[in-house]
Amino acid sequence: MNAERWIERELARLNAHLPARRITLAEALRSERPHVVGRDGSIHEFDRGELELLANMLPEGEWNGLFLPILISFDPKLGRGTAKITGEMEVKVVGRLLGKKCAGEELLVYLPEITVLRKKLPTLTQYFFMV
Amino acid sequence: MAAPMAISPTRMELIKLRKRISLAQRGHDLLTEKMDALVIEFFEILKRVRRARADALTQLATAHRALSICLALVGTIETRQASIEARREIQLEASTRHVMGIETPALRIEGAERRVLERGYGIHFTSSALDDAAREFEKALGLLVELAELEESMRAIARELEKTKRRANALEYIIIPRLKATIKFIMMRLDEMERENFSRLKRIKAMLGAGA
Repeated sequence: MNAERWIERELARLNAHLPARRITLAEALRSERPHVVGRDGSIHEFDRGELELLANMLPEGEWNGLFLPILISFDPKLGRGTAKITGEMEVKVVGRLLGKKCAGEELLVYLPEITVLRKKLPTLTQYFFMV
Repeated sequence: MAAPMAISPTRMELIKLRKRISLAQRGHDLLTEKMDALVIEFFEILKRVRRARADALTQLATAHRALSICLALVGTIETRQASIEARREIQLEASTRHVMGIETPALRIEGAERRVLERGYGIHFTSSALDDAAREFEKALGLLVELAELEESMRAIARELEKTKRRANALEYIIIPRLKATIKFIMMRLDEMERENFSRLKRIKAMLGAGA
């Protein structure tokens, strides 16, 4: 196979697991079986315990502003081992979970912090690779 | 040193190759990031496997101790008879979970821990020691199912990690060096052609000057 096509196929495969549509925390809490459907057709279920952890961290009025799963975006431009979290509510909850001061709509996180974040929210976070 | 590819040394090819090398570089960077993420997942699951294995082994030891007590109190033949009579069907729900696009198993065992009357053996000729042993083994079964799920997930992640590493290495050690060597070859060839042209023009000019 042509190397170029092989690389393009690999890059396309990187984000195949991401959901076609993210749902809000309020929607997830209302749902009997909270889940999202990935672009590859896979079903990604959320853990209710994790949802409740986030629900306790935010006032009810803000549940509609938090989209799930929270995406940990890897961008080669940021350098190896650095990722970012985007979205106001997402930054707020991740900042609180990691004990980081943050403001705005973007937060940089590093590998040791990603480990902690994935440990605390294994089903509510997903990796996203900026192709 | 990687051998250059067999292509015609033109400026158009040079532009194409520069685009390809930037794509390959980007692919390599992203695969490296993916590898880092997979390593995080792998070590996290490894910790959970270690914990689950220790729990399962402890529980199995407790269950075997309870079984020894049961064999001593109830007797070997009666215990064996009860085990033959016991119901063996257990509901196990098997589905899949996706971690970064990797399909991992998700097993859920329904009602592994049963009540005495649900086990199926008669309670008239057995003692509570048998019930204790059965309960301990049922607890162990739940832990073993959890361990099986985690171990298989760990294997799936390890396989994907290996594949990603191989792809990243192919880009780093074969494709990118080959593209770089080809670019270098084309640039050298173009420079050479430019020098040839220059000396040819100089020669023509000299000949024209000599003729005049």
